[in-house]
Amino acid sequence: MALPASVIKELVRIVGEPQVVHSPNDLRIFERDGSITGAIPDAIVLPADRDQVVDVVKVAAKNRISIVPRGAGTGLSGGAITLRGGIALQLTRMRRIVEIDPVARTATVEPGVVNADLQQAVGRHGLFYAPDPSSQKACTIGGNAAENSGGPHCLYYGVTTNHVIGLEVVFADGSVAWLGGDAPDRVGLDLLGVMVGSEGTLGTITQIKVKLLRLPEAVVTLMAAFPTVDTASHAVSDVIGHGIVPAALEMMDRVTIGAVEAHYHAGYPVDAGAVLLVEVDGLRESCAELAGAIERILRTNEATGLRVAADAEERELLWAGRKGAIGALGRIRPNYYLHDGVVPRTRLPDVLRRVTEIGGHYRLPVANVFHAGDGNLHPNILFDLRDDGVMDQVEKAGEEMLYAVVELGGTLSGEHGIGIEKNAFMPWIYGPDDLDAMRRVKRVFDPTGQLNPGKIFPDPERQPTTLRARAGFCAEAQWW
Amino acid sequence: MVVDGLTPGRVEKPSTAGEVAGLLREAAEAGQAIVPVGGGRALGLGDPLERFDAALEMRALNRVIEMSQADMTVSVEAGVTVEELNTELASVGQFVPIDPFNAPGHTVGGVLAAGLSGPLRMRYGLPREFVIGLRVALPDGRLASSGGRVVKNVSGYDLNKLHQGALGSMGVIVAASFKVFPRPLHEVTLEATTQDGWGEAERALALPMPPVALELTSEGRLLTRLAGTQEAVRRMARELGWGEARDDVWSEHSRRGGSAWARVSVPPSRLREIVGRFRGNGHWWASPGVGVAHWVGDIDAEAVRLVRRAAEQAGGALVLLAAPVDLKRQVGTWGTPPSTLRWMSNLRDVFDPKRTLSPGRYLT
Repeated sequence: MALPASVIKELVRIVGEPQVVHSPNDLRIFERDGSITGAIPDAIVLPADRDQVVDVVKVAAKNRISIVPRGAGTGLSGGAITLRGGIALQLTRMRRIVEIDPVARTATVEPGVVNADLQQAVGRHGLFYAPDPSSQKACTIGGNAAENSGGPHCLYYGVTTNHVIGLEVVFADGSVAWLGGDAPDRVGLDLLGVMVGSEGTLGTITQIKVKLLRLPEAVVTLMAAFPTVDTASHAVSDVIGHGIVPAALEMMDRVTIGAVEAHYHAGYPVDAGAVLLVEVDGLRESCAELAGAIERILRTNEATGLRVAADAEERELLWAGRKGAIGALGRIRPNYYLHDGVVPRTRLPDVLRRVTEIGGHYRLPVANVFHAGDGNLHPNILFDLRDDGVMDQVEKAGEEMLYAVVELGGTLSGEHGIGIEKNAFMPWIYGPDDLDAMRRVKRVFDPTGQLNPGKIFPDPERQPTTLRARAGFCAEAQWW
Repeated sequence: MVVDGLTPGRVEKPSTAGEVAGLLREAAEAGQAIVPVGGGRALGLGDPLERFDAALEMRALNRVIEMSQADMTVSVEAGVTVEELNTELASVGQFVPIDPFNAPGHTVGGVLAAGLSGPLRMRYGLPREFVIGLRVALPDGRLASSGGRVVKNVSGYDLNKLHQGALGSMGVIVAASFKVFPRPLHEVTLEATTQDGWGEAERALALPMPPVALELTSEGRLLTRLAGTQEAVRRMARELGWGEARDDVWSEHSRRGGSAWARVSVPPSRLREIVGRFRGNGHWWASPGVGVAHWVGDIDAEAVRLVRRAAEQAGGALVLLAAPVDLKRQVGTWGTPPSTLRWMSNLRDVFDPKRTLSPGRYLT
């Protein structure tokens, strides 16, 4: 639905003519994000700074137009989709690194700063920012904060919420506040903690202050092949059971290894059932001792072809394969549906078995590449969109995989968010009282429901296509 | 049970989450005020209560619900003490890094609600960084769960965060799940007593493998804990050059506290300057790497105002963890409220509309 000309005029007055996109053809560019659904916004507005965001939000509030903040559009759960139309608030012009404080080891950035650009900038000071989503070459820090993104190195270092110490937020009424800050023990409720991961439904993030860490003295990256996903999973549990929490512990299955090796020639063993990529960092002495211990543990778990990256270049190559794995899967089928779920680590073998069965049932190839140390699985369902009715099959398969995750004591998302991809499944884990508590928070911050509507909460207008009877399982509410 | 000179009309001792929820609902319906009490170790925190009809003793909720060694998670009821929890975990070589002062005897629910922390915060952060699930009883009689039992979770709002440090003003924590940590492969505690405590602390913090804890006291005593692989710990200990300390220094340190007790939290770079403003006969201990200092003893209204002003100007706060009622009335527990107070009050209104939970004690 086109916005009234008067509203367009007001928006143009705030951000300037070229920064308001509203012609039907141009709007299509913003139909999609990284998820499998899309919707066309009524207008795209690209503010240059916080004050422009405030003015746009006020115009939206006055005219009852919804606001959907958007970064690089790499999100996988549909968080940036304008489900109910409205304004897509494109924040990528706000990409200043406002301050890097090498002494306090913090950085303040605007939301449109790309994760990898921040890494590069702070690297010059011998520092790094821990969350490293696989999409870090494109995804923005604002999007990372809104979705509470993860990444391979979150096993040891924690996810985005553990690294954001402050947020400047524009609320639904156009008011602005800083949440958090440099000092520990902020007085009052932890609004910062609630805002991170709230997917743009409670406010629009206009600045982010993050903690930085000192680059480790040494890094050792190991790769090991295993006959099966099961044996690799047991090796993962065994490493951690020995009291060793590596910086990263990633797994790829046979399907993924084949595609990655064909693409990157990183020396991945294509005949293996699974590959583990393990990284330890810290003091030289720690790395040597830990890598040795990990090697021994992996070998007792049927590891073969153990390889230690000889230098930074080889390490980069091993990681390029891991982080570029999803793209490489295009060699198998042109389209993929990347799922995200977390199980207690020991349930990995069970859930991966179920994932394989479900893929087999729907005759869809599935490639697994994921954060094994966290129990955070990422089954990729591979398909060709040109096949008749395939989308329906893909969605059903994905839904069944997620349900298996929940049945095994897991949760719907470890790092991608709920968005519109999984909101219908929220009652699988949360009961009515749990969801009611979340709704109360939503009502306080966004009483008119204009911030990213239709996300996170089950949407009465969009019921799940299948498995409806499973709603009300509410595993979390009932297990205590 | 006396809180700020008030004695409750009755003491309830529920033993299940359902009973807690029921008691809250009854109190809310009757317009009464109810105060949850865990180990009673943080009752000094907060402004004087407006009303006190019932105390809600939580110690009978003392089950370990699930401990999964291989998954490295644990779920316990809120009345379990921190020591009980860590004794359980120690049997499988694990621990949760919660080490509040005025120990022992803090319950899990109490320490989370009060937002307390100790020396290990330097490496592990506040419990907010490793609490993965909460179950909370609300004044309308509902039980609401948030999070889950997995170590990574972005499924809906992270309401775990909303209840930590809220002093029970948004609901009563009845159970919690934690991501736990393996006991370090190797660990050593070192100490030094020096004229230049802050300088030595800075040197320790600059080590290529920073300590997991570092404490400095007003007597010029430094305590630190190094953890990691054996060779790494040895190298750091060598570089630092302090003497080895007895094993029980940490439990001794954790017993610190007082009846007039202020906690100053500022950006770490400002801590030394603020601590320099403490005066009188009181003494203090601090975590220079975190930016927190505790000050006990001879604390009067004027001293609090002076230090608080400096702490707030540095972007931090001074909170009274315990104080005589008179002092609380003079200067208040919390200091200048944050600019987001309106959102906090609105949140409280939707969770506790009749102000059933410890009215007057929190800043909302």
